[in-house]
Amino acid sequence: MATKLKSADIVIVGLGWTGGILAKELAETGLSIVVLERGAPRDTNPDFMYPSVHDELRYAQRHELMQNVSRETLTFRNNASQTALPMRQLGSFLPGEGVGGARCTLERCDLALATVGP
Amino acid sequence: MADDEGVRRRDVLKGLGVTGAVAGIVAKTVSPGIDEAQAQPAAQPHGHTMARNGQAADAFRFFTPPEAAVVVALVDTLIPKDDVGPGGVEVGVPMFIDRELAGAYGRGARMYLDGPFGEGTPQQGYQLPLPPADLYRVGIADLNAWCFKTRGGKIFDQLSVADRTMALKAVEAGEAEFAQVPARIFFSMLLQNTMEGYFADSMYGGNRNNAVWKMIGFPGAIGMYGDVIEKYRNKQYDVAPKSIQDLS
Repeated sequence: MATKLKSADIVIVGLGWTGGILAKELAETGLSIVVLERGAPRDTNPDFMYPSVHDELRYAQRHELMQNVSRETLTFRNNASQTALPMRQLGSFLPGEGVGGARCTLERCDLALATVGP
Repeated sequence: MADDEGVRRRDVLKGLGVTGAVAGIVAKTVSPGIDEAQAQPAAQPHGHTMARNGQAADAFRFFTPPEAAVVVALVDTLIPKDDVGPGGVEVGVPMFIDRELAGAYGRGARMYLDGPFGEGTPQQGYQLPLPPADLYRVGIADLNAWCFKTRGGKIFDQLSVADRTMALKAVEAGEAEFAQVPARIFFSMLLQNTMEGYFADSMYGGNRNNAVWKMIGFPGAIGMYGDVIEKYRNKQYDVAPKSIQDLS
């Protein structure tokens, strides 16, 4: 069941560096702004705390700061002669999730640019 | 989940040319006599230390004793102890794989396991409907059945060291005929997890005593070097590696 929220003048999808700057600039115009993020809130402490953040199995191999594809994934194919299939685990590119942007991952920055766009 | 899921996965496997497997259920014995072959006591790679609850702290949680014996033999074949460094078994890789499969990774907690299913291209990656725990369960049964059939009634861990290597090469190349899952896919996950266990932080059960990090000269999870830059200027940074727990 969809929840209808109060309408806003501007909706920004993804509060990375790009979305954050846009939001700040637009807020100064007096427009009302809503920013959407997916994933859990994250903070320097404890999510990026030393030494646990150096856990390469958890982050570099199991991609725990990235999108959990068990809930939502995308399908792809390399050309039109193939049949697109779902990505069952993350591989060549890593969409991030969680509050925060490129500070968390460079891939996240790409995502923010792609969704906010020029 | 349960019934519907099992039936659906079975259909999917059939559709992929993969027969007989039922996700989440131990694959049935394929050849007569293999039960006895598997009934031998499992190898215990390390001495038992009893945990407080009376259960052995180093007991396998996911693998049955016969499966554990196969995994120990597989890891020992992939990374034997040699002049370069420690073997995978002595640093705990089988235990690492067991713990991973017993937990969220084994259940495929971060994998998309719904349809549509298809064989896919190599670029499209893993496309089986099985989470890692199920792939191991079925893959080990397939491996044993194939060995039993083609290696004179012996299952994998009963083979000589040289024969294990030859058998595993056939599995890697996809030449071994597995009844239920593609041999190459099983091999690829096994190799991946073996390397993970060998090189990952020791808190996951492998890389015991940071022995593998010592071998490759990796200082570990250390993240702050400010106070040693002067001391090691133009010198090799040759220190005992530190695990995350060493630094916590």
